[in-house]
Amino acid sequence: MVPCPSCGWRQSTEFAWGGELRPIEAADVESDFERVFLPENVAGAQAERWFHLLGCRRWITVTRDTTTNEVR
Amino acid sequence: MGGRLRLGRKRVPVEDGDTIASAMYRAGIRTFSRSLKYHRRRGLYCGTGECPNCLVTVDGVPGVRSCVTPARDGMRVRREGGWPSVERDVLSVLDRLHALLPVGFYYKTFIRPRWIWAIADRAIRRSVGLGRLPAGPVGTGTSRHLHCDVLVVGGGDSGRAAAVSAAARGERTVLCDEGEVRDPPEGVEVLARHAAIGTYEGPMVSLASTEGLVEVHPERVVIATGATELHPVFPGNDLPGVMLGRAAAGLVRRGVKPGARAVVVVEHDEGFEHLEALRSAGVRIAAVVVPAFLESAVPDGLRTLVGAAVLRAEGKERVRFAVLRDAEGVTRGIGCDVFLLSTGRSPRDDLLRMSAQGEPIEGVGDAAAAASPRGVPATGCVCLCEDVSVADLERAWDEGYRSSELLKRYTTVTMGPCQGAMCGRHLAAFAAARGAATNAAGRTTARPLARPTPLEILAAPVHEVIDKRTSLHDLHVAAGARISWSGSWLRPFAYGDPEQEYRAVRERVSVMDVGTLGKFLVTGPDASALIDEAFPTRVDDLAPGHARYLLALDEAGYVFDDGLLCSLGAEGWYLTSTSGGADRMEAWLRDRADRRGFGAHVVDLTAERGAILVAGPLGRELLAELTDDPIDRETFPHMGVREVTVAGVPCGAIRAGFVGEVAFELHHPRSRGPELWRAIAEAGVPLGLVPHGLDALEVLRLEKGHPYVGQDTLPDDTPAKLGLEWAVHRGKRFAASRALERLGERMPERKLVGLEFDRGGAELRGVPLRVGALIVGRVTSAARSPVLDRSIGLGWIRREPEDPFPEELRADRVGARVVPTPFYDPAGDRLRG
Repeated sequence: MVPCPSCGWRQSTEFAWGGELRPIEAADVESDFERVFLPENVAGAQAERWFHLLGCRRWITVTRDTTTNEVR
Repeated sequence: MGGRLRLGRKRVPVEDGDTIASAMYRAGIRTFSRSLKYHRRRGLYCGTGECPNCLVTVDGVPGVRSCVTPARDGMRVRREGGWPSVERDVLSVLDRLHALLPVGFYYKTFIRPRWIWAIADRAIRRSVGLGRLPAGPVGTGTSRHLHCDVLVVGGGDSGRAAAVSAAARGERTVLCDEGEVRDPPEGVEVLARHAAIGTYEGPMVSLASTEGLVEVHPERVVIATGATELHPVFPGNDLPGVMLGRAAAGLVRRGVKPGARAVVVVEHDEGFEHLEALRSAGVRIAAVVVPAFLESAVPDGLRTLVGAAVLRAEGKERVRFAVLRDAEGVTRGIGCDVFLLSTGRSPRDDLLRMSAQGEPIEGVGDAAAAASPRGVPATGCVCLCEDVSVADLERAWDEGYRSSELLKRYTTVTMGPCQGAMCGRHLAAFAAARGAATNAAGRTTARPLARPTPLEILAAPVHEVIDKRTSLHDLHVAAGARISWSGSWLRPFAYGDPEQEYRAVRERVSVMDVGTLGKFLVTGPDASALIDEAFPTRVDDLAPGHARYLLALDEAGYVFDDGLLCSLGAEGWYLTSTSGGADRMEAWLRDRADRRGFGAHVVDLTAERGAILVAGPLGRELLAELTDDPIDRETFPHMGVREVTVAGVPCGAIRAGFVGEVAFELHHPRSRGPELWRAIAEAGVPLGLVPHGLDALEVLRLEKGHPYVGQDTLPDDTPAKLGLEWAVHRGKRFAASRALERLGERMPERKLVGLEFDRGGAELRGVPLRVGALIVGRVTSAARSPVLDRSIGLGWIRREPEDPFPEELRADRVGARVVPTPFYDPAGDRLRG
């Protein structure tokens, strides 16, 4: 289940996963490469983008524990 | 029911309630297959769909479990594994060469000279296996999702009880079973013939059936898959005639006498039911072997051997003697044609074991019970599927594979169709007895799939809940168009002869339904900032009433879509995307707007706006008859955007087109689509108008050298690889500008180019491009161009960045050359006309 600010808690199958929340831009070319291709991939709490594809079509940022899939 | 099935040239009568195996057994068949490696005879063994012995090919589909598959009249059944036949198999000589073919022999032999492996590989592949793959898919299906409160897997007593009590509590309950479910309980949704093949986190359970895949998302799962019978290991345990109690009981239940004379080993209560079944069928019981604690339960008048040990089964084509050592230590051979083994239960717990800790998944009944105790196998066949004996395990152990996981990988034990249901516990017991470390002596990890599943079921397309249709769909159907899926849309591919449709565009005038295009309105104070940041296209000099080609790049600089960007002045921006890319385009825009904090609205108009393309040298002439608005070349030039009322329908018209002729895209309210289409078609009659579909479009756009994003592009194609650098504005910062800066330092090692072929057409699509024997690229689109009378295409070629493109190319057997694009009207005079 994923909390949507417009629709409340909804099944995760309604959402499209948008990956880790990364900085929106980088200072230079090298750090941009890391920003795009080298995600942190932590074991634990991770900020992620989710798109409510089969709902209000709004993007949200949630925290998911990658070891338990618990979403806050 | 009755009827007959065909087994090779034999006709086998089928009676009511028969499975394929029971019909075959009644007809005298005892050898059901040959074993994978040594070509040993294999007979009916478990009778419950676990072991590999009775797998047959039915109507061309291999791997059918004949003991649980109902027999039908007219089925064509083939037994597998033998050459020339299962009964007379010359390859059974392999069984005597056991010593020469130890486990893993092919890792160590046929290494030098190198060419010998090519021959050996072919010979080995021909001699092993469990049937031949069918030439094509054996079925079609779709995958769907199912949400419920409780999923119960298994329709036996425990499963039914769990389902009934869940339903009584008001929980929405689904009960599935891989076989039939008799007397379905009330208030429970029953999915018979749906095999649970895997449990995943969520929890999510996948069910496979001939209709496809069902992905169940329950709040909790109850596993009631019961138990298999223990598979005892001793020499000769795989001879036909040696069978587990349930197999014999199943035969008797279907009116088949398993044999004339049986030796029965009973080590738990259930065994007495099997013994009774044999007696009721009139089978003579030569001896009953029981442990001391069950002696009193043996019916009177039967020869009973208390505490005897099974030494081996003897026989050539089938079992002739059960050889036992009795409690006094005397070895006896007792003649029999059925050696029945009813020695205990082993929970069918693979679905439980593959679920993650903390998931709401519980086992009930036999599936959750402890396994009956058993010893460590000393000699005999451990793994029926992969033909692995205790001797093979010993050898692997001696070579240093000292954990159950390593023994599994080296010997392939547990890796066959039964997925360890028969042999998994033996492997763990073997490893433990040899002194493997505690963490290396357990069961091997259980993973999906728990049941043999055809690939086409796993690849089943998503059940189309939405079939998208434009407002003109009914008109296309009435016109007799050939309609098919294009992504999630139903679209006309051709109304008649695609070449006639093509000629209408090039020589006269034509219309096409392009309502499937993604259509977006972007408004708000920051609308321009959003467009500028999201795309590489130059925005600041695009005046109201003008359109520009729009390339969409992700943050890595890879092309994910293209379309048109139209400036509406104070009203904001109107943009189109490809038909399949609309969702991604919307998500991209909304993500950028959200993360940048832009005050911009992204309105998806795809469903509420239709679009009709009017294209051809007479296109303007046609429109002029339907509108009073000025559409002449000067007031409405190429890449112009105007409000035009056509046949009374207000349209946003864009002078652009994929096809390279004078073209107008008429974007209109969806509800007015049919009247607009009819009016245009009527006015077009004197001009020779014919509508065109996707088939004609494919040739038209290819002549202009326009790539289709998705068909002609790869996921990591950059503007430079596609020759689209001109669509990137160098002087601005946008989402992909850093990525392009980085990529721009290097020449692309792969490039999409125009191709000309000596001959051929669409069949060249997907063919590799070669220089000599070396593959250097691939054809992504190809067609025969009627107007140029040439074979043309697009494709990508890999080369050293500084090198020129190779001159002597071949696409399959056809000569090919790299040529500049567009192929047709390179100066664009017709387009601007």
